[in-house]
Amino acid sequence: MAWTKWSYMDHWVTETPQGPQPPSFNRAYMDRYVKELSALGFTGFDTFFFYLPLYAGMYGGVPGFERFLQDNGFEKITGIFSAYPSATKYAAPHVRETHDRIVADCTNTLRMCEGLTGVENFIVMPTSTYWQTEPVTDDTIKVVADLWNRVGELTRRHGMTTTCHFEFWGAIRTREQVDTFLAHTDPELVRFFCDTAQHTIAGVDPVQLFRDYADRCTGFHFKDTKDVDEHEAYRTPPDPELMAPQVTRWFYEMGEGGLVDFPALMKEIVASGYDGWLTVEHDKAELGGGSYAEATAVAKWYIDNVLAEAEAEARAELGSAR
Amino acid sequence: MRDTLRWAYALNQWNVRLDVFVRHEDQQRALKTVSACGFDTIELASGTGRWDNISRPEVILTNHGSHAGFLDFLRRARVQGVSSMFWDPQAPAEEEEGYAFRSTADPDDADAIVEWSRPFVDFVAGVGAEQLVVRPVGSAWMTPPLDADGIKRVGDVWNRVGELTSAAGIGLAVHYDCLGAVHTEAELTGLLDATDPARVGFALDTAELTVGGIDPVAFYRAHADRVAHVHLKDTRHADTGEEYRMPGAESTMLKGGAGRRIERWFFELGTEGGLVDVPGFVAALREHDYPGWVVVESDHGGNPAELAMLNSWYLQHELGIAK
Amino acid sequence: MTAPERAIKWSYMDHWRSNGPSGPVDQWHSRKTMSAFLKQVKAVGFDAIDTFDFRIWQMYGDYGGPAKYQEMVQDHGLERIVNTFHAADYDVRNYAPHVPETHEAVFEDFRVTMGRWSEIRLDNIIVMPATLFYDMEPITEDKLKYSAECWNKVGEITAGFGVKLTCHHEFFCGIQSEPDIETFYSYTDPRYVNLFVDTAQHCIAGLDPVALYDRHAHRVSGFHFKDTRHVATGDDHRHRPDSEIMAPTTGKWFYEMGTDQGLVDFEAMMRAVRDNGYRGWISVEHDKANKEGGDYSESTAISRWYAKNVLEEIYR
Repeated sequence: MAWTKWSYMDHWVTETPQGPQPPSFNRAYMDRYVKELSALGFTGFDTFFFYLPLYAGMYGGVPGFERFLQDNGFEKITGIFSAYPSATKYAAPHVRETHDRIVADCTNTLRMCEGLTGVENFIVMPTSTYWQTEPVTDDTIKVVADLWNRVGELTRRHGMTTTCHFEFWGAIRTREQVDTFLAHTDPELVRFFCDTAQHTIAGVDPVQLFRDYADRCTGFHFKDTKDVDEHEAYRTPPDPELMAPQVTRWFYEMGEGGLVDFPALMKEIVASGYDGWLTVEHDKAELGGGSYAEATAVAKWYIDNVLAEAEAEARAELGSAR
Repeated sequence: MRDTLRWAYALNQWNVRLDVFVRHEDQQRALKTVSACGFDTIELASGTGRWDNISRPEVILTNHGSHAGFLDFLRRARVQGVSSMFWDPQAPAEEEEGYAFRSTADPDDADAIVEWSRPFVDFVAGVGAEQLVVRPVGSAWMTPPLDADGIKRVGDVWNRVGELTSAAGIGLAVHYDCLGAVHTEAELTGLLDATDPARVGFALDTAELTVGGIDPVAFYRAHADRVAHVHLKDTRHADTGEEYRMPGAESTMLKGGAGRRIERWFFELGTEGGLVDVPGFVAALREHDYPGWVVVESDHGGNPAELAMLNSWYLQHELGIAK
Repeated sequence: MTAPERAIKWSYMDHWRSNGPSGPVDQWHSRKTMSAFLKQVKAVGFDAIDTFDFRIWQMYGDYGGPAKYQEMVQDHGLERIVNTFHAADYDVRNYAPHVPETHEAVFEDFRVTMGRWSEIRLDNIIVMPATLFYDMEPITEDKLKYSAECWNKVGEITAGFGVKLTCHHEFFCGIQSEPDIETFYSYTDPRYVNLFVDTAQHCIAGLDPVALYDRHAHRVSGFHFKDTRHVATGDDHRHRPDSEIMAPTTGKWFYEMGTDQGLVDFEAMMRAVRDNGYRGWISVEHDKANKEGGDYSESTAISRWYAKNVLEEIYR
């Protein structure tokens, strides 16, 4: 049976009378957005912590927003993404003195999620930008690990799993750094979230990484890239994601000739026995004239045709092995 | 624009979302567009974080090294300088205590807001701009109605910031917007009365006043001595149903989420059905020898290049101003 | 902006898209969109517009003919319509410059076309002087000669209406290489056949547009100033049905002048225009500017910014 638990990461831009805007422009645009996702067959919805107050305002609370999703065929809100991409004097994961503040912020986010059906992942960027954090030493990583152990304990009490999503421009980006971080964190409290494009850009093979940490992996961003960072773009201040001199667009939807071997990953996922949500993400899909609606439809076509075949092959192999 | 009035153009409509208008080449294209339309001075608007690198003083300086470096960047596109910068302390920013939510209506927040203003005061002075333009108070739907004491408290915060701007040799102008808790003409006049005319001016936005039910021409004539800054834009609608009081009015009213479902309120000069008497207003500025900047805006509109070009056409061909 | 002492005036070639409630539309969508287009072109300092022949039906249908349409153009502060581009659908069976048997159909087309335009003054009628490359290959001297004979006669017809016939060599048409262009002009009559230099098209075809212009300056009657970031490779020039869209090298051949990474040396071009003593119109074009996230309004403003701040510093 084909994988049914596909969720969509909440990046979307659509034309409005005020120019291209997120669908939170108003409820009519949210209606269209959610129906489009539902029509493609997504049943899980991941969103950002900073959208929660907005959705709460529009739907009378985050649970009200989830009911709206459910009215349109979704099962539930599956993941919440939280981050401090820019280090400030108030919040920076590598600065221990700011940890109380970050934990308090996370507590507020978790409060907003009370009454939901069952958010599974509390996805975090473990660090701020590399250029604000460097030098990245084992001690730096240890400080960061201590923070997420704390947050992991907190989210567990709320039924959510803290899981770390490593950006190519974050302070934990190489294979060695990821290994060190995962070694310093409690495997029960801090999990691994595999963003296929981010790892590929950082020169880390996402399939091998998943193979090595399958027991700690609680989710994926299935997105593609066409470039490995070969020019230390990850150190570009203030932002490597949009300002790298050599690459104007890092991220692409699946199926557009990128570097990630998604069928291989799919087979690895099946072989591992992972049975959680798989998430489609393609942030900044509008760059160079792209359209979120089209990118999402093309990605879902790829899921339904290419990945479904890979999955079926993997299941057949698994069956014959038994 | 070759005119006795000084014209500038606001960049806000280019920076309409979190992750756009970040690359320098995109910013150069906007600056060249503005320049080709005949404007050699721009207004900036505040923002937050690494992606607001033409909006947040600290991030601008990270990008360009210094005030002079930023001005060099503008001058590559033949834009000569900055007229003003807009700042809303009620809009949470990560640089302001990590997205702290504060309001000038709350006396406990006054010290923090005055402190938050410092990077803007320094930046406006540093780039040789004239006015720090501020949203004096948050949205009406978020707070209980302001009585006279409340308005005075708001005014006091701006008097304190006005001391900083005066010391830095720049002006401070409080800007009226159609959602603000200072909404009626009486409240607005009350706020002006509560602020020190030597230190705090008024930023008159023609469309915002019109939406809010205040005639910009009449208001200008009555308060010309306080008007230190102008935003010139048009609207096709007035808020005749007190939609500004709806919860989430930023979306429910200004993006048509509820009420009359008007999805776009602000338009370019010369728009069909525009409610602002633009020629009358500009004539009034001339009559009073208005000395400040007139900033043409296309915020909450559509395609920014198209709107800048249509606004330029209007100035040249309807107002007879040579480019 | 239209001071008479200027040697160069700027015209805008009418490619355009804007976003409307029903998606992207061109300026001919309605009088309102036309007005917005003309206002924008004028606002950034263009003096006039160029147009296409096939627009004449909309001019008649929507505006009452070319003269009435030109009045609307003038109402927006623009001087006039300077050039028209005759975008013919060549067909080797009945309408092809290199096929002499079809020439009478070409001549008749121009007699009729010029009549339709006769109510306004045009400087040039611009043609692609050959069919698509794949419909003409192999390119032989005879075919170039037949083509030249065709345009000599057409030029005589258009001259009778006071309009210059001028040739615009697309990189994908049958006369696009340097030797073929030279041969073609050696057979054409300078009184009747002019060259219209499209900086990007020649650059894509591997020619230096400045050198080409310098060689033929005496018979150059206009320019499309536009840029490209790519030179055609392999058989880019012979992709069916349309190399401008189908060639594998790039999804976007054309950019507004002043673009980053542009291959055309516009400053050298402008110096050549000055040194050859050219006076008159330069047309700015950036067809398909909206591809890959581009925007016509922005490209038009930026190209005019470049003309004003870079090129007019050289020659104006």
